[in-house]
Amino acid sequence: MTTPLLEIKNLHASVEGTEILKGVNLTVLPGEVHSIMGPNGSGKSTLSSVIAGHEAYDVTEGSIMFNGIDLLELEADQRACAGVFLAFQYPIEIPGVSTKFFLKAAVNAIRKYRGQDELDAMDFLDLVEEKAKSVNLNIELLDRNVNQGFSGGEKKRAEVFQMALLDPLLGVLDETDSGLDIDALKIVAEGVNKLRSPERGFVVITHYQRLLDYIIPDFVHVLMDGQIVKSGDKSLALVLEEKGYAAFKPCGCSCGC
Amino acid sequence: MNSIVDNTIFADLHKKEDWLYTNVSGLSNISFCENGDVDPSIISKYDIAVNNPLVVFVNGIYEEEYSRLSDGLSINDPNFETISNRSDSEIPVGKSNSLSITGTQKDTVHILQIVSGDAPVACFGNVNICAQKDESISVAETHVAITDFDHLFMPKTEVVAKENSNVTLVRAIRGSKEAYHLGSLHVVQHESSKVQTNTITLGGKRVRNEVFAYLDGENCVSNFDGMYMLGKNQLVDNHLRVEHNKPNCDSREFYKGVLDENAKSVFTGRIYVKEDAQQTDAKQTNQNILLSNDADATSRPQLEIYADDVACTHGATTGEIDDEALLYLQTRGIPAEAARTLLIYAFLNESLDELADETFREVLVEELLSNLPGGEFIKALYL
Repeated sequence: MTTPLLEIKNLHASVEGTEILKGVNLTVLPGEVHSIMGPNGSGKSTLSSVIAGHEAYDVTEGSIMFNGIDLLELEADQRACAGVFLAFQYPIEIPGVSTKFFLKAAVNAIRKYRGQDELDAMDFLDLVEEKAKSVNLNIELLDRNVNQGFSGGEKKRAEVFQMALLDPLLGVLDETDSGLDIDALKIVAEGVNKLRSPERGFVVITHYQRLLDYIIPDFVHVLMDGQIVKSGDKSLALVLEEKGYAAFKPCGCSCGC
Repeated sequence: MNSIVDNTIFADLHKKEDWLYTNVSGLSNISFCENGDVDPSIISKYDIAVNNPLVVFVNGIYEEEYSRLSDGLSINDPNFETISNRSDSEIPVGKSNSLSITGTQKDTVHILQIVSGDAPVACFGNVNICAQKDESISVAETHVAITDFDHLFMPKTEVVAKENSNVTLVRAIRGSKEAYHLGSLHVVQHESSKVQTNTITLGGKRVRNEVFAYLDGENCVSNFDGMYMLGKNQLVDNHLRVEHNKPNCDSREFYKGVLDENAKSVFTGRIYVKEDAQQTDAKQTNQNILLSNDADATSRPQLEIYADDVACTHGATTGEIDDEALLYLQTRGIPAEAARTLLIYAFLNESLDELADETFREVLVEELLSNLPGGEFIKALYL
């Protein structure tokens, strides 16, 4: 049997005492793309933050196994080194350091963790050039400070480029489509699609079905009030688009039950 | 009382409002000498731009042998008119050899002021910059105490920016962390002039950087920026007064620093806007990151406004590293401690990013990194 890339069981998580995730179950096998859809406040971003290792969230129950290891035992940076990548909904701007400079620190930290030799400047720049080409990123962008003065589209493309560069086993995309026009969306999706492989899995978190026209998922899950209430194939996204999230409430009404 | 400086005045200085947080009374007990030697190899170590003009002073004495003067630079020019008498600085004024700079200086003029001796030395520094109409001048001053004694250095720099001129000035305090630096900068700007100053404090035990600026013409642009990275037993007091005397001028005071161990910083920024200085746009910001519970930052932004159609803002933040930025770096595989170092470096480097003189910037980054805990990790990232 294939070891699941990601196996989330009965995950409960809270922030400042408020429970957001109330028993999430999700299994991602290598090569699969899973989409998590849900309305605002359903816990989508919390799920991605918990997978990435955000300290503000307390996991009160349940487990997350990643490629056979207990992810919850690892710090955020160790998770990244083990092969988890989170593409942020709002990538952080860091004035004062260039993107290349920052990524050299990242690449070499990960290589060190994996027992590989650190790259020297020359090899690092070669790698950057190769990966930038592969996702159609203008390499000049990388001389600018981290995400500073980037347009919305540039920020998201830079996230996908970082994913290509860091070569993870699991890519978690947190509302990568938010704030993008259709052209930018296509470019970002194209970059993600190039990274699809039999070994690599994706969790694509999104509010709208639109992104899934370009990143075709194997599975779609509906997350509501901290639980996955429905799972299906890509056609589920179309049902959601047509009927809205209300149809997936346990009782079909708009009350808080 | 010493012959070089009346150091009795330092005993009670901290009782005055303007010196409230900066106690330099230790100076009143020190018996200073005037002279000291310096190893010539030290001078060449600080001579970072061999193709640029360089003026070297050791303990206030001009060193012709090591200097490279360009057109417009003169030593001990008697015709220079002082503007510092407009400022109410308490820092003693005294005699030293002086440098005058005028005429367009495209290549940054480097000034190296060294204080050195086998016992505490007290000395002055006098630099006068005058940019005539349409001229453009770039100057980089390095103030460095070499030996670890309670030296007292009192450098005074005056800048007159005439109509439509442009002056860029960096003053960096480097070297020993035992010396007292009590420096003042006096600026007078005429119509449509632009002045950019950066005051960088990496060395010194007690450092006072005063800025007195007089915007006497319309449409001036004035940026007074500063940065500091201090550790054990160090204190910096950045004290500014910017006077808007004419309409339509923009000024900015932007000071940021990182304090480790029991380091202290004081920021006092006074913006004064005269009645008819309408359309003044003045900003004041002081940001501090404290790396230790014993570090201490005091910010005193002050506005004194007599005009009614102006935009003046002030802001001060004191805090720790931003958690969201830390997580972002960690999700890219960078361990928390290294990520923290990287963010501190980024915070400080932002204020060096814009320095006009690239060589000078590199040297300052290098020194900054040797002061920064974990700085070795950052050095390895340079491409």
